[in-house]
Amino acid sequence: MSKIRIVTAASLFDGHDAAINIMRRIMQSKGAEIIHLGHNRSVHEIVECAIEEDAHGIAITSYQGGHVEFFKYMKDLLNENGCGHIKIFGGGGGTILPQEIDELHHYGIHKIYSPDDGRKLGLEGMIQEVIDACAPGENKEGAKNNFWQAPKNWESKLPLQEVKDIRKIARAITLCELGMEVPENFIADESTGAVVLGFTGTGGAGKSSVTDEFVRRYLNNFTDKTVAVISVDPSKKKTGGALLGDRIRMNAISHTRAYMRSMATRDDNTALSGYVQEAIDICKKAGYDLVILESAGVGQSDASILDYCDLSMYVMTPEYGAASQLEKINMLDYADVICINKFDKAGALDAYNDVCKQYKRNHQLFAAKNEDVPVVGTIASQFNDAGITKLFTKLLQVIQEKTGKTFGEISASTDGEATTKSLVIPAKRVRYLSEITDAIRGYNKWANDQSDIATKLYQLNGTIEMMEKEK
Amino acid sequence: MPLQALKNKQEELEAKLEPAVKKLLDQWKDLQDKYGKDIFEYTVRDKVIKQDLITTSLSGTKIKKVVLPRYKDWGDILQWMLQENVPGEFPYTSGVFELKRQGEDPTRMFAGEGGPERTNKRFHYVSNEQPAKRLSTAFDSVTLYGEDPGHRPDIYGKIGNSGVSIATVDDAKKLYSGFDLCDPKTSVSMTINGPAPMLLAFFMNAAIDQQCEKWIKENGKESLLQEAFEKKYARLPKPSYYNPASPERLPEGNSGLGLAMLGLSGDEVLPQDVYAQIKAHALSQVRGTVQADILKEDQAQNTCIFSTEFALKLMGDVQEYFIEQKVRNFYSVSISGYHIAEAGANPITQLALTLANGFTYVEYYLHRGMHIDDFAPNLSFFFSNGMDPEYSVIGRVARRIWSKAMKYKYNGNDRSQKLKYHIQTSGRSLHAQEIDFNDIRTTLQALYAIYDNCNSLHTNAYDEAITTPTEESVRRAMAIQLIINREFGAAKTENFMQGSFAMEELTDLVEEAVLTEFDRINERGGVLGAMERMYQRNKIQEESLHYEMQKHTGEYPIVGVNTFLNKKGSPTVIPTEVIRSTREEREQQIQNLQAFWKRNEAQSAQALQTLREVAINNGNLFTQLMETVKYCSLGQITHALYEVGGQYRRNM
Repeated sequence: MSKIRIVTAASLFDGHDAAINIMRRIMQSKGAEIIHLGHNRSVHEIVECAIEEDAHGIAITSYQGGHVEFFKYMKDLLNENGCGHIKIFGGGGGTILPQEIDELHHYGIHKIYSPDDGRKLGLEGMIQEVIDACAPGENKEGAKNNFWQAPKNWESKLPLQEVKDIRKIARAITLCELGMEVPENFIADESTGAVVLGFTGTGGAGKSSVTDEFVRRYLNNFTDKTVAVISVDPSKKKTGGALLGDRIRMNAISHTRAYMRSMATRDDNTALSGYVQEAIDICKKAGYDLVILESAGVGQSDASILDYCDLSMYVMTPEYGAASQLEKINMLDYADVICINKFDKAGALDAYNDVCKQYKRNHQLFAAKNEDVPVVGTIASQFNDAGITKLFTKLLQVIQEKTGKTFGEISASTDGEATTKSLVIPAKRVRYLSEITDAIRGYNKWANDQSDIATKLYQLNGTIEMMEKEK
Repeated sequence: MPLQALKNKQEELEAKLEPAVKKLLDQWKDLQDKYGKDIFEYTVRDKVIKQDLITTSLSGTKIKKVVLPRYKDWGDILQWMLQENVPGEFPYTSGVFELKRQGEDPTRMFAGEGGPERTNKRFHYVSNEQPAKRLSTAFDSVTLYGEDPGHRPDIYGKIGNSGVSIATVDDAKKLYSGFDLCDPKTSVSMTINGPAPMLLAFFMNAAIDQQCEKWIKENGKESLLQEAFEKKYARLPKPSYYNPASPERLPEGNSGLGLAMLGLSGDEVLPQDVYAQIKAHALSQVRGTVQADILKEDQAQNTCIFSTEFALKLMGDVQEYFIEQKVRNFYSVSISGYHIAEAGANPITQLALTLANGFTYVEYYLHRGMHIDDFAPNLSFFFSNGMDPEYSVIGRVARRIWSKAMKYKYNGNDRSQKLKYHIQTSGRSLHAQEIDFNDIRTTLQALYAIYDNCNSLHTNAYDEAITTPTEESVRRAMAIQLIINREFGAAKTENFMQGSFAMEELTDLVEEAVLTEFDRINERGGVLGAMERMYQRNKIQEESLHYEMQKHTGEYPIVGVNTFLNKKGSPTVIPTEVIRSTREEREQQIQNLQAFWKRNEAQSAQALQTLREVAINNGNLFTQLMETVKYCSLGQITHALYEVGGQYRRNM
């Protein structure tokens, strides 16, 4: 059966993301796969995402006004690009007036929820309605479902000024995920023999931020090259739903030369979806120059990404515990490049030394210098981080060594040492709040002590006065 | 016990009393004398000010403005002086100024809708006949996110809605026209964060150019102005102030000041030395606040546009500029708990997160090499005032914590120790059911705030839960404050709540709760470390959920919402009509912007390039922005800075 895939976001110039976060959680719990974009998203970004992800629906909250224009524009953009089958849902509490809701429904927005709907249906009821409306049904000959009929509208121009037909690529991946046949010649073979780069690492290491910074540099540097990113997140065993959350961090991906597809692991109890190979093959066939495969967070033993890629990178942080933990990490044997992200964390330099040492041991390179080992410290959260630039250069170098492929000249390169953070708060000052609480509690205690003395003095003073009078 | 033994004991104890404390106790008598008089004398920046210390009621009772405790025990007196004290004395628990400013209510007049002309008219309407012009500006969401108005529908619909559209320095000139921005009685607050440095540069230039305009008129140099216009606008239309809703005239109260220089910067008109002099003077005079609090944006409000680190750099640049240019009367940041509370935090969390953010700015500015006393007086705070009991002491605790930390941790002087704050009644506590009841909530919250000696107050309109407030509802909201300040007898005493057992207990409890929260944040690596783990965000969400649950079950009673419903069940009130910007206004904003681009075409590309270079070379970006805004629009600048500072990366 098809999984329901829904793109969720808050409207452009709108930071109110509390409601959409609650909604998407309920959708996930009902088994939907959610591609969450977060707040402040333009219509173009949302539509591009929905098309690339082959979503069934888009759910938006809008609390900042301009909703009539926003939703209509979204509908227009979907229609213009042959994707009118993607259903739009919205809500904005009391900011969207009843007559505006009517106007939007009339225009083809599937449903705008009012506070009254919320009270009538309850949150769960509302979400169930959305999920039911999105269900595409089975792909049967003659079925009237718009989702399955959509490809009929895809013979015209390429969508959204993209350099490839992202609609077909997206649908082909969907078909594979459902175990269905992709019609022959559905995607024209423009294969250039893409390099497949695998990014894996522990959960929370910042893989998507590293990927985003890599993609940004790639698109800026090679202005005629294309990239496809396939990103995998786990499905929840209990509900079958998934939060596909990598796109929220990706600022660079909304680009005519970039494609991104988020995949849930679905039934497989692994860091990768069982259909990853098919998705890669589709992107290769479509002619992307580079395919990046980003796995879900993995444990120490997982090296499954190696089955799919030409070369791989392992992303970790300095916070792995004792150095002996490194001996257990399989990817330190196999990764072509190791990225220690969050290099501003305490112990980063020790981590760098430890990881280099482990790498040398694993590769019998006992005489090698740290500089010659492919280990790079990065701070992906820092803009234009020198470490990431070094990592970028390193990866391209390894690609060339291993596959003989180059993408062009690299304009920005740094040969600098591992990255250093231009610290907002210097490391030795980081306990400032504790110093403040100490100062204040110290003052309060001192005030109490001094007052106690003053009270005793007052009492003594009174007693002495009394005694002197009596004398 | 013989007398001598007692005297020995007395001596022994006296030795344990610290000299500073002895001095305080010695001063007690003087303090009693000082506050026993009818007239109070004090000095502000070397000026002796005399103010009445009493008001007389209709019944003839003399009501003191500040009342001292009647304690006799030295320990009680000392404890009171060390933890409470009179307003204007450390630790400033009851207020940072000796007495309230006369002739100036802490009311802020709030506006922001449509184009600059419409908002300007509203500003003049709400401040008419107020001796002090205290304006508060709400910007539309396009501006809040640093973009320019445009025809793209997802932008178009938002132009001039829920705030005013400001894209250029000329828009700012129109917005504040007719208010002398360098008059000490004018104070402007701007609710803007991500693009705050740009909007601030718009404002500063508007203020400078107003003074240039005054100089031109006073010195009869109109010919210079004319020449400059002819030079720049040979074949181009001149920008003008035009309100499509009332095209015939300037709004009542608008003298036109600031409009003569529309489309020109003072340095395009005046000799450079004259301009420099006027600029320096204007910068030393302007009074107001820009919110610019990027930490709470990341924690609660989500109008971040730049990477957090770059946004912090911009804030630091503004503060450095303020120090260099002696901008003494303008707050470079309004460290805000309001949005944290609106997002669902309880009052303790609001206070703790906000103060912690404040101390983070302090640490960052110190790290950049600024001196504590050079910047601490430029910091201000902004809190929300809801119904919870802790709100009755939020100002007291904030002042007490800040002053103790400033004095004992940072060695700051008196000015640095004084925490000044604006407070707004809670928007979240207003409901869309039985909206008439909302004014009652706002009144009680305003009373909390005024008793707590806030420095500035905004009272929400009762219909804000459902729509943009109307002139009628805004007037009622302002009346709430005026009635408390002018009519309400208890508010004549400026430390009315001091000495209440309950207040003292609550103050201690909340202070300790805030310190405990500081410890928790500290364990997570300080404010920035905690933000990386989304600690603040999650905490706010949890507390929001707690409130919603209790509201849902009725455990937390809300009259007319979940209890005491009317016969019809107190249904949600739906507005029949909402104030929205008109098509004409939006088109006007876009046209004005395009004309601005056109006439500055020759300079804008170079100006943006210079700005980028300053960023790359780690120069002061605000110094440069003061020049950039003369030729570039908000959106142009934002995009140029994205290239050198990085865009905000969302997280969850």
